[in-house]
Amino acid sequence: MHLSDENPILNIIDLQVGIDGNQILKGIDIKIPSGEIHAIMGRNGSGKTTTANVIMGHPSYEVEGGDVLLEGESILEMEPWERSRAGVFLSFQYPQAVPGLQVGNFLRKSVGSVRGDDAARGSTFREELKSAMSKLNMPPSFLSRYVNDGFSGGEKKRFEVLQMMLLRPRLAVLDETDSGLDIDGIRTVAEGINDVVRGTDNGALIITHYSRILEHVRPDRIHVMIGGKIVTSGGPGLATLLEENGYDWLEQRVAEGEEFE
Amino acid sequence: MDPTSEYLSLGEPDRAVHLWRYTPWRKVHPTGNISEIPEEVSPPGLSLCCINGEVPEGVRLIQGSESVEGLPDSDSTTSSFMSAITANSTWTVEVDPGFNPGKTVVLEINADSPISAVHICMKVGTHSNFEFVTVVKGDCEWLGLLRTGSTGEGSITNDVVVNLLGRGTLLRVDSIHIDRDSQVVAGTISSGSEMTKSDLRYRMGQPGGNLNVLGSILSAEEMILDHHIEIHHDAPETFSRLDWHSACGGKSKTVGTGMLKVSEGSRGADAAQLFQNLLLSENAQADSIPELEVTENEVVGCGHGTASGPVDEEQLFYLGTRGLSSEQAKSMLVAAFLNSTLSEMGSMEMHNWLVEILSDDLDALGI
Repeated sequence: MHLSDENPILNIIDLQVGIDGNQILKGIDIKIPSGEIHAIMGRNGSGKTTTANVIMGHPSYEVEGGDVLLEGESILEMEPWERSRAGVFLSFQYPQAVPGLQVGNFLRKSVGSVRGDDAARGSTFREELKSAMSKLNMPPSFLSRYVNDGFSGGEKKRFEVLQMMLLRPRLAVLDETDSGLDIDGIRTVAEGINDVVRGTDNGALIITHYSRILEHVRPDRIHVMIGGKIVTSGGPGLATLLEENGYDWLEQRVAEGEEFE
Repeated sequence: MDPTSEYLSLGEPDRAVHLWRYTPWRKVHPTGNISEIPEEVSPPGLSLCCINGEVPEGVRLIQGSESVEGLPDSDSTTSSFMSAITANSTWTVEVDPGFNPGKTVVLEINADSPISAVHICMKVGTHSNFEFVTVVKGDCEWLGLLRTGSTGEGSITNDVVVNLLGRGTLLRVDSIHIDRDSQVVAGTISSGSEMTKSDLRYRMGQPGGNLNVLGSILSAEEMILDHHIEIHHDAPETFSRLDWHSACGGKSKTVGTGMLKVSEGSRGADAAQLFQNLLLSENAQADSIPELEVTENEVVGCGHGTASGPVDEEQLFYLGTRGLSSEQAKSMLVAAFLNSTLSEMGSMEMHNWLVEILSDDLDALGI
């Protein structure tokens, strides 16, 4: 057995989650070994964003059963900021705007909290910031703007990826980071994801509707979610199959009670 | 009628009047005996310099003032009382026409006597560009600050008042006349004094006046901070905005009352008022009441609104996912809320200087 199989970066075990008395996740299992990128695909309302929020510890959701392990340790009792400091990062589908909070100031405090004060000081941090912004085609003037305030859809997504690059998470969860981006934007964002995971022992979980971003990231495994369950998993070819045939055929098989491998 | 006679001829102001609805005059009066004008009143210490310590050229602090143009028509309790009590402590800040130093000028008012009062008259020269911060400090029991004046034709003025009094009561009365094509940003930052009553009035009596009133108010413990803002559009093509942010913690209370008056003949007036309150504890209280009196039909728009609520849970979650503890995140969100108005008050130099002052106060108040 490979070491990464014993202690994967992320191990979701029979996770059941509800909100306001309605069960959304009905027992899902996902295991991401270190150095791998997985993707969850599925239609709106299938439970993808709930999965992301529960991994990050959103207080609105109630975990009714199962567990979420980060490198073998349960994180369910941890506050979101503790999860962040433990190495979990969530790129939001709809990031919050915070008028009055300057991007530069926010990034410095965030990096200081997650990676320690020394990482957020001096010329090393400035160089790292400059380099990451350059890769994402973000101008220096971005730093004096307010967090997500008046950002276009593409700017919001790039800013999420910038934060991911600076925080250097062990596990990056990206919730529809590709939506609303043009093809150049998708390529840029994909490069950012590859930067953080490929060639490292980190891991990533990409949540998406579309296969476009997966052409640039090439996930190791794809999970398809329908009705709060993972109904099938497979290699990168599964994304192409879904792109060509949609979800109807899968839904029909689920309705007929067919079991998937 | 002289101010003393005028004040003594007035009865106790009616609490039905917008200005006195929340904090009655007898609570604000220095002795509580509203039928008297105290005699033991000391002038505060004053100093005028730039943020970098230089003495500015083209701006002077001169003792005395020319006759004060009357406040716009409404309750005259505060104006007559303040004119009477500051009769021997009146100064003029005179700004040369065309003044444009690219530096922020600071007037520091230090009030340590039990009862202190001063009248500052601003005379901003035509076509000048004047950035002016008045910082109020000290440990007095009561400070009266009367600010009158006018901004010259075509001038640009950023006029910010910062209340950093250690305790006691601040009564602030402003009456500012905005001349033709003159642009004014009027900022208020308040995180000091146990009680504040402000009666701020602005009048645009000439066409082309442009006024942006901004507030960053931080209250904690058992502070009561009551600001009344009147904006008078008395000429065509005048523009005003009011954006007032109050963050209230502890058992404190903030009040914001707005009065927007657009008189007949003010065609093309464009005015809006917005009060936003951030409630930081269950026992904190914030009241905001904007009012409109519009007697001109042909306006671009006149509107008002108010919103109150606790710190946004989704914003807290977002900052938490970036490694910021709940306390850090809350503190940052309060600072951001106040900064979103503060950052519009003037230059980057002034903004950085003000943020430093406010950050110290946020820490000191434990928010």
